[in-house]
Amino acid sequence: MIRLGYFVRTSFAGLRSSPVTTAVAVITIAVSLVLVGAFALLLANMEELLGRFGDDLQVTAYLEDGLSAEQVNELVRIAHTVEGVQAARIVSKPEALERFRAGVGQGSALLEGLGENPLPASLELTLAPEQRSAAGMARVVGSLEGLAGVSELASGQDWVEGYLRALALLRGIGWGLGLLLALATLLIVANTIRLAVFARRDELDILALVGASRAFVNGPFLLEGLLQGAVAGAVALALLYALFRLVLPGFEFGLALLLGGVAPRFFEPHEMAALVAGGAALGFVGSAAALAGGGRA
Amino acid sequence: MSSGNSRGRGWPWRRAAPSPVPASHVAADGAIQIYHVSKSYSAGNFALRDVSLRFAKGEFVFLTGPSGAGKTTLLRLLFAAEQPSEGQIVVLGRNIARLRASAIPALRRRVGVVFQDFKLLQRRTVEENVALALEVVGTPPRVARAKVFAILKQLGLQHRRYHHPLSLSGGEQQRVALARALVNEPEILLADEPTGNLDPGLTLEIMDLIASAAMRGTTVIVATHQLEIVRRYGKRAVRLEAGSVSEDSVAGRVRT
Repeated sequence: MIRLGYFVRTSFAGLRSSPVTTAVAVITIAVSLVLVGAFALLLANMEELLGRFGDDLQVTAYLEDGLSAEQVNELVRIAHTVEGVQAARIVSKPEALERFRAGVGQGSALLEGLGENPLPASLELTLAPEQRSAAGMARVVGSLEGLAGVSELASGQDWVEGYLRALALLRGIGWGLGLLLALATLLIVANTIRLAVFARRDELDILALVGASRAFVNGPFLLEGLLQGAVAGAVALALLYALFRLVLPGFEFGLALLLGGVAPRFFEPHEMAALVAGGAALGFVGSAAALAGGGRA
Repeated sequence: MSSGNSRGRGWPWRRAAPSPVPASHVAADGAIQIYHVSKSYSAGNFALRDVSLRFAKGEFVFLTGPSGAGKTTLLRLLFAAEQPSEGQIVVLGRNIARLRASAIPALRRRVGVVFQDFKLLQRRTVEENVALALEVVGTPPRVARAKVFAILKQLGLQHRRYHHPLSLSGGEQQRVALARALVNEPEILLADEPTGNLDPGLTLEIMDLIASAAMRGTTVIVATHQLEIVRRYGKRAVRLEAGSVSEDSVAGRVRT
């Protein structure tokens, strides 16, 4: 009975009849979505980083100087028996020095003054894939602690735990911010639609008079809200992309700190669709809230 | 006594109470039955008081009386814009006092309404204004266009169909409103001072059009304070004073 053509025609006419109000609503939703979207993008990149670093996570056991070859071999044998250890490799003192030189580049001249190699030999333990987490590392470190010949144990455990905490905090802030912005956006959309209803009250009275059902009267307003939200979602997406391409490169240092040199990625197509759909949903729900409780015509 | 809209808008999960209207009173030929209806907007202040009336199908009735007598209130009750504070109203077999909000549109599609101030949409053309009544019932556009053209032709407005209401005379605007009210072929036509804004020549023109609807079987109720019109048509006239029926007559003779 209800014709989509009428809804679409009436919705567009409504949007055209109040361009300023419509623009304010679209911009407001778009700004909210940009903020939430930026947060989501940051979190997605940080989570990805954690996933990539997982492959490199390892435990290093620094060995005391002066161990015999038998003692070192025994340590390698013990390390292999520890649950979660996939591979164990000895890094000799000269090899450690070589790595250090390669790592610091020109700064290696500092080492020239040292009479003897100060770097210890070490045992590098690669973790089995299922153990590549803070808990996995903690388990391996716990098994090796107190072992004769091991002077110190180092792992990325603290770093991973700190990173996860930061990620959880950011996620919490993101959710809180998202909810607050969604609420504010809903109120703004609801008010925009209320204004539109008020501006067209004569028309609505007449529609009610000639027997229009509530769905027929409300439909165009719901579609208006949905369209406003979807357009705002697309605008937010374009703004985010512009920020990503034009502004982000200016913050290389901060990015390197957060993402450890991993190139940041933009949203995947399904994530872009979700952002636009989120905007449309905000617009629709805002309109529905504005129309709820309309009394007997 | 309750005042205003005392009843909720109806809960779908609640079973309706049995109708207090006696079945014998819902006559087969009765388009509208009004039983002891009162309407008050504040305690002790009655717009209508204990009104009982019955209008047959195809009947042409005038509601007369001075301003504030309750004519408009009675009409508003008949198209379910308001509910009675007391009493029962049965319109086309539906009890207004117990009608759910969701059932009102269906009733209004069977009742055409015309007002003194025309209530036309100024931003829409004559054709679009009339088509509105067909759009809400989902009439296909091609059928709607044909129906709108036919009713506009009948009312002598076909050449004005692409004009906007503000470019029309008062009489033409009221004819457009009439076209909108009649295009769905309603069983009841309610007109609230339909000629109140028109000069005498246009008044007769509009009244003749309304009377012709009654001749085609539509129950017509016209609220007016212009007694010369009532006299001219010699139809049933119900006079309201201070919210009560003070006289119910046909061509000046009191009905029994």
